[in-house]
Amino acid sequence: MAVELTPVAAPLQGGLVDAASRFFLDNPDWGYVWSNRDAILDATVVTVQLTFVSIVLGFLIGLPAGVAEVYAPAWLRVPVETVGVVVRAVPILVILIYMFYVFSVSSSPFIAATFALGLRSGAYQSQIFRGAIQSVGEGQMEAARSVGMSKLEAIVYVIVPQSLRRSIPGFQNEFTIVLKDTSIAIILGVTELLGTAEDLFLQQNRTGTALELILAISLVYFVLTVTTNRGLEFAGDYFGVPTGENA
Amino acid sequence: MSDPLLRVEDLHKSYGDETVLRGIDFELERGDVEILSGPSGSGKSTLLRCVNRLTEPDSGTIYLDGERVSGAGTDVNELRRQVGMVFQDFNLFLHLTAAENITLGLRRVKGLGKAEARERAMEHLDRVGLADQAGSYPAELSGGQKQRVGIARALAMDPKLMLFDEPTSALDPELVGEVTSVMRELADEGMTMLVVTHEMGFAREAASRMMFLDQGQIVERGPPEQLFQHPEQARTAEFLQRITQLHGGEST
Ligand SMILES: Nc1ncnc2c1ncn2[C@@H]1O[C@H](COP(=O)(O)OP(=O)(O)OP(=O)(O)O)[C@@H](O)[C@H]1O
Ligand SMILES: [Mg+2]
Repeated sequence: MAVELTPVAAPLQGGLVDAASRFFLDNPDWGYVWSNRDAILDATVVTVQLTFVSIVLGFLIGLPAGVAEVYAPAWLRVPVETVGVVVRAVPILVILIYMFYVFSVSSSPFIAATFALGLRSGAYQSQIFRGAIQSVGEGQMEAARSVGMSKLEAIVYVIVPQSLRRSIPGFQNEFTIVLKDTSIAIILGVTELLGTAEDLFLQQNRTGTALELILAISLVYFVLTVTTNRGLEFAGDYFGVPTGENA
Repeated sequence: MSDPLLRVEDLHKSYGDETVLRGIDFELERGDVEILSGPSGSGKSTLLRCVNRLTEPDSGTIYLDGERVSGAGTDVNELRRQVGMVFQDFNLFLHLTAAENITLGLRRVKGLGKAEARERAMEHLDRVGLADQAGSYPAELSGGQKQRVGIARALAMDPKLMLFDEPTSALDPELVGEVTSVMRELADEGMTMLVVTHEMGFAREAASRMMFLDQGQIVERGPPEQLFQHPEQARTAEFLQRITQLHGGEST
C-alpha cells in the first residue's frame, strides 16, 4: 500500500482530505506564499522563457517540417515524417532524459529542457502546419506558378501566409501544452514554477504550505494560458483577412 | 519573324490508362483569338495547361515565339512569365487585396520596386474597371470582379499569350458580360488568346478561329462562322447546336 512519492508530491501525502481539511477548516497560510512572491515571480519569468524559447524552436522546426511533409520529394519527406512519428511516440519526460543524460546536448538544464520541449513541440507543430497547408486550395499554388513564381516562392509568399492564419487555433492549443509541460524541467533542477514551489516548501521545511504554493503556481499557469490565448486570438484578428470560399 | 507565336506539335498526355491528348498539332499567329471547344472530358483544360506546363505533357513540342519551351533544358518559370492564365474559379490569392494580387508577381517575378509595381497594378485594375476596388480582398468582391482581377493579374505580367479556361463558367449569368467585354477589348487590342468557353456570343464576335476537340483530338478547326454554319463533322454540329441552345448565340 505504501507508495513512494517523489519529493514534490510527498508533502501532499495523506491525501486530499487531509490537505483540504487543513486548508479549508484551519487557516490557510498565504503569508508564506506572499513573502516569497519575488521567488515566484522569478520562477514565472523562467517558465515564460522556457515556454517562449521552446515554442520558437518548435516553430523553426515545425514550419519547415510541415512544408516538407506536403511539398518535399520523397527523399526528404520520408525522413521528416519518420522523425516526427518517433518524437511524437516518446513521452516528454523520456525525451528530456535523452537530451540531458544520453545526448548531453548541453550541460545547462535550462538549455537541455528547451531542446526537449522545442523538439517535441516541433513534431506537433509540423502537424498543425501540415494540416493548415493542406487546407489551402490547390488553385493557390497553381495561380502562383502560372505567373512564373517558383515552387519555393509560391510556398513562401502564398501558401505559408495563408496557412499561418489557419494554424492559430491549433497553435493556441500547442502553446498551452508547452507552457504546462515546462514543469517537467523540475527533474533537472530548473527553477521554473513547479521547481521553485518545491524548493519553497521542502528546503525551508515548510511542507505545511505545500498546497498553498501549488495553488498559487496553478493560478500563474492559468493566467499565463488565458493571456496568451487571448493574445493569439487578437493576433489572428489583426492579421486576419476576410475569407470566403472559391475566391 | 514569320514564326507563329505558338506552335504545338504532336502533344500527347495520359493519366494512367486514360489517354487524354492523342497528338495535338496547331499554331496560333500573333493576334489570333482561338476558341477551344468540345465536350466535357475531351481534354480542353489539359491542353491549355500543357501550353504553360502546369500539366507536363508526356511528349510533343511547344514553341513560343520561335523558341522551344518544352522538354529538357527549358525553364518553366520563364515560359510562364510569357503566358498568362485565367482560371475558371479565379484562384485569386485570398490573403492579398486586389492590388496586392497583381503586385506580388510583379515584385517577385519581374523584380519591380514597390512603387512601380503598385503603379502598374493600378493601371491594370483601371483597365478592367476596378481601380476603386484596389484595397478589397477577394472575399469582398463579386465573381465578375474577382475574374476581372484575375485577368488584370495575368495581364500585368505583360504576357505574349493569354490562356483562359472557362473564365465565365463559375459566374452568375448576369455577371458574364462584364468579363467577356474585358476579354473582347483585349482581343481588339491584339492580344493572342486561347480561350476555352461555352460563350458562343463571345466566340462569334471576338474569335478569329475555333477548334473543336473530342476525345483528345482536334476534329475540326476553322473560322467560327464556318464551324457554326457548315461544320464538316457531325460531332461538331451536334455539340455546337447543343451549346448554342444553352449559352446563346446572341451576345450581351
Ligand atoms: N490530374 C488528373 N489526373 C487524372 N485524370 C485527369 C487529371 N486531369 C484531367 N484528367 C482526366 O482527363 C480527362 C480530360 O480532362 P480535362 O479536364 O482536360 O477535360 P475538359 O475538356 O477540360 O472537360 P471539362 O469541360 O469538364 O472541363 C478527363 O477524363 C479527366 O478525368
Ligand atoms: Mg476543363
